[in-house]
Amino acid sequence: MKELTWEQQKRYQRNILLPGVGIEGQKKLLRGGVLVVGAGGLGSPVAYYLAAAGVGRLGLVDADVVDLSNLQRQILHRTGDIGRPKVESARDKLVALNPDVQVEVFPERLSAASAVSLIERYDIVVDCTDNFATRFLLNETCLRLGKPFIYGGVLAFAGQVMTVMPGAGPCLRCIFPHEPDPHVPGCAELGVLGAVPGVIGTIQATEAIKYLLGLGDLLVGRLLTYDALSMTFYEVSIDRDSGCPACS
Amino acid sequence: MRLEVRVFSGLEKYIPGARFGRSIEVERPEGITVAELVDSLGIPRSQVFTVLVNGRHAAMDAVLQPGDRVSLFPPVGGG
Ligand SMILES: [Zn+2]
Repeated sequence: MKELTWEQQKRYQRNILLPGVGIEGQKKLLRGGVLVVGAGGLGSPVAYYLAAAGVGRLGLVDADVVDLSNLQRQILHRTGDIGRPKVESARDKLVALNPDVQVEVFPERLSAASAVSLIERYDIVVDCTDNFATRFLLNETCLRLGKPFIYGGVLAFAGQVMTVMPGAGPCLRCIFPHEPDPHVPGCAELGVLGAVPGVIGTIQATEAIKYLLGLGDLLVGRLLTYDALSMTFYEVSIDRDSGCPACS
Repeated sequence: MRLEVRVFSGLEKYIPGARFGRSIEVERPEGITVAELVDSLGIPRSQVFTVLVNGRHAAMDAVLQPGDRVSLFPPVGGG
């Protein structure tokens, strides 16, 4: 890879100063590719922080258009974006933030047919979806392709996050073998404090950046749970389930 | 037998005085299943998405052992 320009050295100076990052680490980020599935409450902070950090290639998957009720938490989108495809609205903000980043948009729902060809083009996948059916598809496809995958979820004042590393530690279905009962209320019924996906998405972005840099310890086998009301984080250690429908 | 129960992400509301992730010591008869424990705590089974016993997923019909650490979660699935 070519050397960093003077502008890049300045833009990424606070990254480059970090122990274990340096110019070489910044080049790793610029060579990296991350697929962000969902451009909503979680996808907003994830995509913003990855773009700001100089991750070279970001893929955004989302079939929805921006709705007025999204703007309380989905900080990629603005009032003037209502009615636009979320991935296009997102791309505008990310490219304006950092022209180094190549933003690839997929205005579609992830399907079993498209998942493999989409995921194999990236180094790591960040789950910013709002349903377990899509999460399970991501989980299974990433296991098959050997790609790491960072689960995040939010509900009301709570959130949780875990990193799935194929071949090391549990997968998502070791914890959640089945889809939830469709009658159990979700964020559309119970609400969600806008800053909660901000907290969880920021942790997901941190995990993705650490993975690209090869730094630190990831949330593998560690379900990190967050409660905004008591302002508590609690980590639950998880083992692989020998009866897991996906990874055993 | 004694069990250590933790509830997360909104299930606290079913147990008076329960706090997110804070352990609750309960005394239950030997041979009780996960489902019976959930019922005895007053939590609707439909609200419990996943149960971990000592860090491993457990089915609703699993029989609990003395000292088990039981964590109960609703579906935290929004994005
Ligand atoms: Zn598994």
